[in-house]
Amino acid sequence: MDKNLDQNLQKELRREAIKRNWLLFKQSKLGMIGLYIVIFFLFLALLQPFLFITGIWNKGVYDPVVGYEAIKDTLLVVECPNEYPTEKYESYTDCPSQGEITVKQLYMAPGVEVGDMYETFIQPAPPSKRHLLGTDSLGRDVFSQIMEGSQVAFILGLLSATLGVGISTILGTIAAFFGGKIDAYLMRQSDLILMLPSLPLLFIISAFAELKVWHLAVVLGVLGGLGGSVITIKSQALQVKVKPFVDSARITGGSNMKILFSHVLPNVAPLALLFMVFSVTGAIASESVLSFLGLLNIDMSWGIMIYLSQTDGFIFSGMRYWWLILPAGLAVTFLAGGFYLVGRGLDDVFNPRLRKR
Amino acid sequence: MAEYILRRIFQLIIVFFLFLVFSYLLFNAIPGNAFSSLLLNPALPPDAYEKVLETFGLDKPLSERLQLYIVNFFKGDFGYSYKYFPKTPIELIAERLPRTLMLFSIVNIVAFYTGFFIGKVLAWRRGSKAETWITVTSVFSYTVFYPWFALMMLWVFGYKLGWLPIGKFLYPEKWYDAPFDSDVVFTSMIKFTVVISIIQFLAYIASRGIESLSFRRNIRLSSLIVIFIGSYFYWNQGQALIEKPYAADIAYHMILPVMVVTVVAFAGTALLTRTTMMEVLKEDYILTARAKGISQKRIRDRHAARTALLPVVTSFIFTIVTIIDGSVLTEQIFSWPGMGQLLLQSVLEEDIPVAMATFSFVGIFALIAHLLADISYSYLDPRIRIKSQG
Repeated sequence: MDKNLDQNLQKELRREAIKRNWLLFKQSKLGMIGLYIVIFFLFLALLQPFLFITGIWNKGVYDPVVGYEAIKDTLLVVECPNEYPTEKYESYTDCPSQGEITVKQLYMAPGVEVGDMYETFIQPAPPSKRHLLGTDSLGRDVFSQIMEGSQVAFILGLLSATLGVGISTILGTIAAFFGGKIDAYLMRQSDLILMLPSLPLLFIISAFAELKVWHLAVVLGVLGGLGGSVITIKSQALQVKVKPFVDSARITGGSNMKILFSHVLPNVAPLALLFMVFSVTGAIASESVLSFLGLLNIDMSWGIMIYLSQTDGFIFSGMRYWWLILPAGLAVTFLAGGFYLVGRGLDDVFNPRLRKR
Repeated sequence: MAEYILRRIFQLIIVFFLFLVFSYLLFNAIPGNAFSSLLLNPALPPDAYEKVLETFGLDKPLSERLQLYIVNFFKGDFGYSYKYFPKTPIELIAERLPRTLMLFSIVNIVAFYTGFFIGKVLAWRRGSKAETWITVTSVFSYTVFYPWFALMMLWVFGYKLGWLPIGKFLYPEKWYDAPFDSDVVFTSMIKFTVVISIIQFLAYIASRGIESLSFRRNIRLSSLIVIFIGSYFYWNQGQALIEKPYAADIAYHMILPVMVVTVVAFAGTALLTRTTMMEVLKEDYILTARAKGISQKRIRDRHAARTALLPVVTSFIFTIVTIIDGSVLTEQIFSWPGMGQLLLQSVLEEDIPVAMATFSFVGIFALIAHLLADISYSYLDPRIRIKSQG
């Protein structure tokens, strides 16, 4: 009976604490904006499987990797001038402009002359009702690719951040708690990881292992978890270790393990959570950079979308193919920024000195 | 203290040794080797490949090669580059390092000053509309997908507007009859930048003690003017006059990378300064200063900002350590032939001696910086106990 009451009280207290923290978090405007951004991308990530299962989207058309649809369009056949600028075109990049095609491109189709209307399938098709963000150069739906990319980003970011922070929290607390040789070993180990240049190291790893999303998440998590964050978590744990309640727990006869897990770890946890949110940002950015350089064995992600738009030469064609350039880059930026802002908001909650009042 | 430092240096040597072994094995784990492409050439006689392997000692077993490499490394012999054969890795690094340092030292100095100033103002104007917008902008530039952003900037300024060059660090046609190579110009540019920043720093230090805010500002402004006049005279005399057009060419190519990296890099400093400054503003001595009736600006600049500077400077030191690592992507996008590109190319082409040399260069740099940071911490902050660090 007594024990039951105690448990109920604890539950109540925990609920109260969560409620209080939520109220504090809500006060930070930027943190809420970040939360909305993250929720928006989570919604996108979950929406795609829903659309496929309910049959609203046909897999053959909307699949982000193998889907295909050609949009039929009629184009005006024109001839590009030899010298620029002319009245119609400012430079050679403007010819042919939207809705036009040059005669030179049609050398395979005899009998077509300047001024004719020519019916063709255009491949990077501009946004329409059927394809909200248009299609890419292979006729795949860009909006569906963005959704697939956000699934990849969430899986990768959350998995690697959880793994990394798990490792670094446990190692950092152990290093602070036991000190001595264990501490020296762990610190030198993180020195070793920090010494390796991160991007070239990932290149080497991708050279002898075919990296899929899961593998990359594990690699990033382990590298992040053994590296610099151990040092930060350790310094936090050192501050907890000298608090009076740890001493009193020891005096009342708590074992090392008991003190470590029920007194030190819970007090390091807020910082660890903060670290996790921030390292999601890093993981998303690393994945995009590696995909951007074409080193990953992933079918579709935001980095690969940018990589394709760069290798196909669309990124230097300006805003004419904006739906190939802007959505992917902005998605990476906004999701990383969203997680960063959530981290800021949590910082306000856990660090009382940052609050307004 | 001395015992601690000695022990740390001993550990450092062990870590470095492990680092060498680990990276050597890592490079050798990549399938193929630097000369695999010779096998694809049908014009070569069949034994040519084996001959080349023998010349470079690649036919020996891995354990023997590792042993040889490490012994030679500590003798100061880093071997020869596979790809740029008669050159040694040291020569290559000496050629590439000034270019990277030139680019990134300017970026870091500019980013640090602007970041610190903006962060200071942000924390001070907390809650205002301007603060929200500047914070949103800094978060955007902090988390923006960097390669994408750099390419967009290249498109806007290099291609659409045509104001700035798209890549490379000089126009080769301007250098056909140059009496020296670009490294000479780079070295004198670095010297010039260092002298300027030392003068500016000295002026800053000297004017720190001056009480009157306007007088202090005037002194700093006049030091800037002195620097401008001095640099005008410097570039119009002797050797510098000959180097001037070439230096101008390099500087012209530097504008875009410096601008892009600064936009990305300043935000980190600004956001960190904002946080530390907010923490400091809660301290009791700020309240005391306010109660004494000291002007707001003085509290901001002399009481709060100075204390907030400490963690920012620490993170700045660590940023300097990661310059070469961070330059990889930038130099790849702007085709700037510096250390980052050397590192990347040597890794991708499996030019093991060069890759090992650059890796260990970066590694030694990082290790020494960490050691210095640890020692200065325990020196400055008695709360960090040396004993617990083993």
